[in-house]
Amino acid sequence: MSFVPKTQPFSGKINAVTLGTGDKAVVIGGQNVLPFYTFDAPIEHAPKIGVEISDAANEWDVAGLRTFYEGCTTMADYAKRAESMEGADFLCLHFESADPNGANRSVEDCVADAKAVAEAVAMPIVIMGCKNIEKDGELFSKIAEALQGKNILVLSARAEDYKTVGASVALAYGQKVGAETADDINLAKQLNIMLKGLTVAPESIVMNIGTAAVGYGFEYVASTLDRVRAAALAQSDADLQMPIISPVSSDTWGVKESTASEEDEPTWGCREERGIDMEIATAAANLVGGADAVIMRHPAAVSTIKKFITELI
Amino acid sequence: MKVTFQIEDASPVVMECNAGDNLLELARRGNVAIDAPCSGNGSCGKCRVKLISGQLECLPSRHISDEEWAQGWRLSCNCRVMGDATVFVPDIASAYQSRMKTADLSSPQEIAIFQEAQDALRESGIHFQNAFRSLVLEMTAPTLDDTMPDNERLTRAIQEALGVEQVEIPYAVMVKLAAALRKYNFRLCVKGELVGNTFRCMELSSPEDTVIAACAIDIGTTTVSMVLADLESGRLLAKGSSGNGQIRYGADVINRIIQQSRPGGRKKLQDAIIQETLTPILANLCRTAGISAKSILQLCVGANTTMNHLFVGVDAESVRMEPYIPSFFHWDGLLAGDLHLPANPLAPVRIAPNIGSYVGGDITAGTLASMIWDKDEMSLFIDLGTNGEIVFGNRDFLMSCACSAGPAFEGGDISCGMRATDGAIEACTLDKETMEPSLSIVGDGDQKPVGICGSGIIDIISELFRCSIINAKGLFVREGRRVRRDAHGMGRFVLAEAEESETGREISLNEVDIDNFIRAKGAIFSAIDTLLSSVDMTVDMIDKVYVAGGIGSGINMKNAVNIGMFPDVELEKFAYIGNASLTGAYAMVMSDQANAKCAEVAANMTYLELSTYPGYMDAFVAACFLPHTDTRLFPHSLQEM
Repeated sequence: MSFVPKTQPFSGKINAVTLGTGDKAVVIGGQNVLPFYTFDAPIEHAPKIGVEISDAANEWDVAGLRTFYEGCTTMADYAKRAESMEGADFLCLHFESADPNGANRSVEDCVADAKAVAEAVAMPIVIMGCKNIEKDGELFSKIAEALQGKNILVLSARAEDYKTVGASVALAYGQKVGAETADDINLAKQLNIMLKGLTVAPESIVMNIGTAAVGYGFEYVASTLDRVRAAALAQSDADLQMPIISPVSSDTWGVKESTASEEDEPTWGCREERGIDMEIATAAANLVGGADAVIMRHPAAVSTIKKFITELI
Repeated sequence: MKVTFQIEDASPVVMECNAGDNLLELARRGNVAIDAPCSGNGSCGKCRVKLISGQLECLPSRHISDEEWAQGWRLSCNCRVMGDATVFVPDIASAYQSRMKTADLSSPQEIAIFQEAQDALRESGIHFQNAFRSLVLEMTAPTLDDTMPDNERLTRAIQEALGVEQVEIPYAVMVKLAAALRKYNFRLCVKGELVGNTFRCMELSSPEDTVIAACAIDIGTTTVSMVLADLESGRLLAKGSSGNGQIRYGADVINRIIQQSRPGGRKKLQDAIIQETLTPILANLCRTAGISAKSILQLCVGANTTMNHLFVGVDAESVRMEPYIPSFFHWDGLLAGDLHLPANPLAPVRIAPNIGSYVGGDITAGTLASMIWDKDEMSLFIDLGTNGEIVFGNRDFLMSCACSAGPAFEGGDISCGMRATDGAIEACTLDKETMEPSLSIVGDGDQKPVGICGSGIIDIISELFRCSIINAKGLFVREGRRVRRDAHGMGRFVLAEAEESETGREISLNEVDIDNFIRAKGAIFSAIDTLLSSVDMTVDMIDKVYVAGGIGSGINMKNAVNIGMFPDVELEKFAYIGNASLTGAYAMVMSDQANAKCAEVAANMTYLELSTYPGYMDAFVAACFLPHTDTRLFPHSLQEM
């Protein structure tokens, strides 16, 4: 008798969330199997890669990034170049300079950048803030308004500001909203419930369940990813069936492995290589754990992860 | 330099001090009662004082509004002395916490609880008998012909009256014998203990003073309460309660243990409980009952393991340190005289046995009183205190665990919190449309509100949630006349305006209070959840839920379920049994068999240490949500949109 593999698709299913509009729109989520378990059921929408562009990108000093973005000065320049990156599915605009404790760029400037990018590119846009609750609240609301109809994703609403962000981004301007929590399955679920309590549709919510670079407490991320996915698929927990997005690059390019110079750590080898390796390792770990999209920075890392996804799906 | 503390309704205290001294520390040195549950971290906002004159170096705090700051209000823990100063120490809601209360045995429910416990124990075959006797003896006065010495005269009289062989006259009685016999003309009352064939004299009194009394004491981390009962009839003579005087050494047992480990700390904490707390209540009870302290012939203490250690005065450090082995679980042999308690110095002090570092005699005594050890049905016993204790089982097995709930149920850690005494808001309903509250307040009909007790907080949070005024995290999401925000954006719900309250300060519940309470209820529910799953059981297997603790007799079980504090079972299954630890201690002090039964129950209880239980932390985070992150556990919880 020939061997007939037993397939095990789950009855629970991850919500399919569309980002962007037109030909370049992408769908994340939608599967009813564990990550890359295509032998249990087909995975219609492969995990996606977003390319991070920062309003502080001029300060990026890694050679590979400098070469790739050579000649770019404005955020729109960067975005157009990033769109051409091999493996890119969407763009992530990171407004880190808006931080009032840092450069404190005005909301108007940020909105103008976002609008310029949206006019210049066709790929879906994800917005990342500066982590300052008050500034982000205003920034997110204004960008969501300015980019109405573009179906962007805004990262993120947190327990502290989910009301303002959820109400403006998702309810008023019909964009997608990210729900960001620390590495804890219950906190993730609680925030989803509260967003749903605001009448935000579950199909408009994407989760960021907490991130870390590998080696920096990633085991917490890994265990949370596992448990969130298990609850969503095996227990059909509708409050946890939102797709997961993991902003990888903002973590990995800030750790010592990626920042220590070759003079300081002569035995560690090329700094750029180290940074790329950290980014690849972290993104791959997130994807096999259950992330439906990762946000990355370096072209070499992006193309490697793209290959990784294509080979497995 | 000098700091003068002007205390409301009391004479001022002047303290010598140096520049840079912390005001709260100084107040503690001078025994000025300033309530500081957070032990001076600046987090609870309870230690407020008003600067009248002089200078203090102070840090601002979110607990003090700009207006209050201008009036001179400061947090004493945030203040350093700069020079001579005078501060006013107010009598605010939290100070009510330490105010003594001698009750009021008028409340028929209170008496009924003790009577029911007694009846239930009797029914299960436990006799309410003890060894103490009060005898009125008539002796012939000695003459030149009748030359029997006093002690033999007394011995003979007792032997004749009781038919015993041996009579012991301890030193404390012997020294009073000659004078007493002559004072009462050889007709007096002898009080003592009859053990087998021996009668041990404990007290001599006038032939009219024949009452012998027992004292049952519940020493909680936050609250102390006790009853005085007639040892012969079991009748309650008086009841009283007050805050635990140790509260100024920290709100929880861990802070207290740290304090007692310091040089001289053990003595300080023991004095705080015995001299400052128990002695005044006991003196008051004796006055109310019209008896002499020497007539108290037996005492029983139901207290958690740490409180037991601090009461006895033995080192409690090992309770806190791995491997968490206390000095004693079960210990006999303590006499009232050893601790200088205002009672007969020869009176035995029974201590309800501990079964773990964090499951103490309060819970074994409570379990005894709850009678769950005598039933076939599966019962859940919940004692709501600073430490929440849970017991689950029936006559075949008993599992127990303890969780740290904090003092919220007793009104601690809540800005307008108080114990369930006069002026406490004990129940509340809200109108969904107008958000107007209807309050029910402990006390006479015209009693103005002073603060909110545990049962009131449950009602308010449940109503705020039902009316969608707060969200599942306890944050305000609806605006209205009664929802106000401070400069930092923190929301609060005003229950009584300043002019409507007894204290002249607004009574409200703010987001920090609600968060503290959600943690407390989360600790309780996750402990229940973890205990049940450790024996592979689910909530629908619970036949009966007994709720105990000083949270207030009016606890609304429906609301407690609505906020996810208790499991969602049929409301008929719930029963509030009052201060079960005190009821249990009462049974143990009255009945030798009950005392033995408690030891047996304690020995048969299995203790689950939650801190080493892997799923507990997860269950806790899941429970810190209204009603719970897993809404399937609370099908009857209701939020009206």
